[in-house]
Amino acid sequence: MPKRGGGPRHRNWKGDNDHFDHDDRVQSNSTRRVSFKPTSKGKNKIRTWNDPKLLLDDDIDMGATSGQGQYRKSAFRGRGGRMNSPAPRAHHGVVKKKFIAGILPWYQIIIPYGAKHEKEVVLRSLLSFISPEIFIPHYYKTNGNAAVFYVDDVKIAERLYHADRKITMSDGFKLVVIVRNAVPNITIDADMKEKMKLTMAKRYNAATKALDLTKFHADPDLTDIFCALFRPMIMLAAIDIIAENIPDLEALNLNDNKLHGLEHLKILSSKFKNLKILYMGDNRIPFLGSLDPLKSLPLVELYLKGNPLVNRFHDHEIYISDVRKKFPKLMKLDGADLPPAIGFDVSEDLSLPPRQQSFLVDPAGQDLVREFLTQYFAIFDSESRQALLEAYHENASLSMASNYLSNDSRNSPNNRLTSYISNSRNIMRVTDREQRRRYLRTGRLQVVSFLSDLPKTTHDLMGFAVDLIVFTPAMIVLTMNGIYKETNTAGNPTRSFHRTFVIVPNTSGGFCVINDMLYVTNTTKEQEEKAFASGSVEPTPAAPAPGPAPGAVPGVAPGVAAGAAPDDAHKMQLLAMLSQQTGMNEHWSVNCLQETCWDLQRAVFIFNQLQSEGKIPPEAFVK
Amino acid sequence: MSEVAVKNVDNACETAEEFTRVFYKQVDNSRHLTSKLYLDTGLLVWNGNGINGNEKIQKFLMDLPASHHVLRTLDAQPISENLVSNKLTYLIQACGDVTYQNDDAKKPFQQTFLIVAVDGKWKIASDCFRLQVPYLTP
Repeated sequence: MPKRGGGPRHRNWKGDNDHFDHDDRVQSNSTRRVSFKPTSKGKNKIRTWNDPKLLLDDDIDMGATSGQGQYRKSAFRGRGGRMNSPAPRAHHGVVKKKFIAGILPWYQIIIPYGAKHEKEVVLRSLLSFISPEIFIPHYYKTNGNAAVFYVDDVKIAERLYHADRKITMSDGFKLVVIVRNAVPNITIDADMKEKMKLTMAKRYNAATKALDLTKFHADPDLTDIFCALFRPMIMLAAIDIIAENIPDLEALNLNDNKLHGLEHLKILSSKFKNLKILYMGDNRIPFLGSLDPLKSLPLVELYLKGNPLVNRFHDHEIYISDVRKKFPKLMKLDGADLPPAIGFDVSEDLSLPPRQQSFLVDPAGQDLVREFLTQYFAIFDSESRQALLEAYHENASLSMASNYLSNDSRNSPNNRLTSYISNSRNIMRVTDREQRRRYLRTGRLQVVSFLSDLPKTTHDLMGFAVDLIVFTPAMIVLTMNGIYKETNTAGNPTRSFHRTFVIVPNTSGGFCVINDMLYVTNTTKEQEEKAFASGSVEPTPAAPAPGPAPGAVPGVAPGVAAGAAPDDAHKMQLLAMLSQQTGMNEHWSVNCLQETCWDLQRAVFIFNQLQSEGKIPPEAFVK
Repeated sequence: MSEVAVKNVDNACETAEEFTRVFYKQVDNSRHLTSKLYLDTGLLVWNGNGINGNEKIQKFLMDLPASHHVLRTLDAQPISENLVSNKLTYLIQACGDVTYQNDDAKKPFQQTFLIVAVDGKWKIASDCFRLQVPYLTP
């Protein structure tokens, strides 16, 4: 900031809370530098127009705008005799003081010795000087020796500028008046929000769902705070308050609020789906393109009169047509009804068809699907998944793929899918044939062993979307979408999954899964809010006892691969033991046990032998 | 696994890559031709709405807003041939993000296909599409 034209003296003026002191020494220093740089004013101004930061926040310092020149000059005179340089003298003596309007809609008026007089005395003197004009001083206060207040009218600012050293006060001194283009500082706190809310409530018409915020900062209830909606921070706070209290708002009047940039108003379309009428007259919106952030609002009525953008159009027809291009549903612009536009006969309604929770290609399959899933997930969600051996075909295959949600900014440890991703068979990433084969688990034992290693879960069965897409005597295909929570992971994170079962009848009249394809990802925020929303949080009774649980429900899996079941359970134990002792993965452990006819001791013996000969490839230990 | 079975696993993956490339290109860019990819008796289940037969599928698809799919996760398995009258059949699961014209938001989706080889062409026997949203109907 000090690098610009203003020089270090600015620090004395910055913010009206700073201690104000009449520091001659510093003033005269900067005087010399600044007064020879008239061009810097123009430059500065152009630069700041394009500087979005200027619209953003508090620390706005306008560098060499008009007020400074003014102050500088009074400093000269005050120090009279010491100023021997002819150049500044000539400059000040000959050139008439010229007021240059700033780009901010507010002006700070500083009366360096104003605190010596009563507020009323100062104001009355100024009012009588600029009469017949009148002004409203905002946020008047004293700061050290100075009195500071704000005006929001450029004409008044100019008049006050010319009042400098023209008014002789009762003590014989002339009143020094400094005008600076600046806005009052403000922090938005709960107290201010409450005041804004109450003021809005007063301005809301519930019958028409219309909120009138015309010249909001000038509301008598807000005189003590600087509540100017042209400041994005304040506008966004206002929008939050409205969204919270009037989400179904239909009409909003923002006339006469000195609005300039509208980029932050993009948020309106996501907060107010019903906002159809928008008044933004008498603001400072510079270009038609400035309205782009509002394009997704379904506006039928818009008011823009009194904005610079309107004057850019010499042809009113073109103006209407260009505005309409941005808001095709517009029927009224600047208070005038628009002739109906000639459009194209394209389907207006682009909404998606409503979603259904379930689809059954054959209603006859309903009971079977329900029972199968209830049983399957009762075991899946229990302490041990070993009993699932009965639910899988001898030659079953299973693959799992996992990925993070895109655009997910949540970064908590709960969202990490490491235990899934490390086993994910996403063939967009796993491109090597060998690896693709290995990540496909084949055979009942490998499948159940893999499932047993996944985190313990509770599925939200009532929230499942189930689609039965094939239902023939030979084959059933069903897909599920739903969520579960991990029960033994810290924080019990929820996961979203998509899963497909290909189910076939088995020889003993039951059914078993022959293809199982699972996709696991994070839950969306929306899914989390609705998770386990049905009354019965635990959709299935806990079935901790491993064993022939599926056979217990008639009709579904009675005797799923009956005779083999205990045998398989035993094999699972052998497999786990071998895997633990040798460190080999399940695939190689299964192979090894099969080779040795499930003799664990022999399997370990052979492993040790092969290992000592270096015949076991490293991939056998990749888990 | 036998060598034939192993080859079939490889082939399922490669077919899935090719199939999804073609399928999403058609849906996003040439939707009027998409139904050609389905069997005449094919089934589309779109977010729980079932549509039977190639012609109705075409009409349904044409009524959806324009879309843009980005595939991020893909998986495929062969289906045992004796289940499907000895026709080569693959199960494909495709997941990613879809953006529709009526709403700029990216939505995660998951889609399962059963594709079958008929007269030298891959055809969709079943297609099950789901957006990743809560489905509990109150």
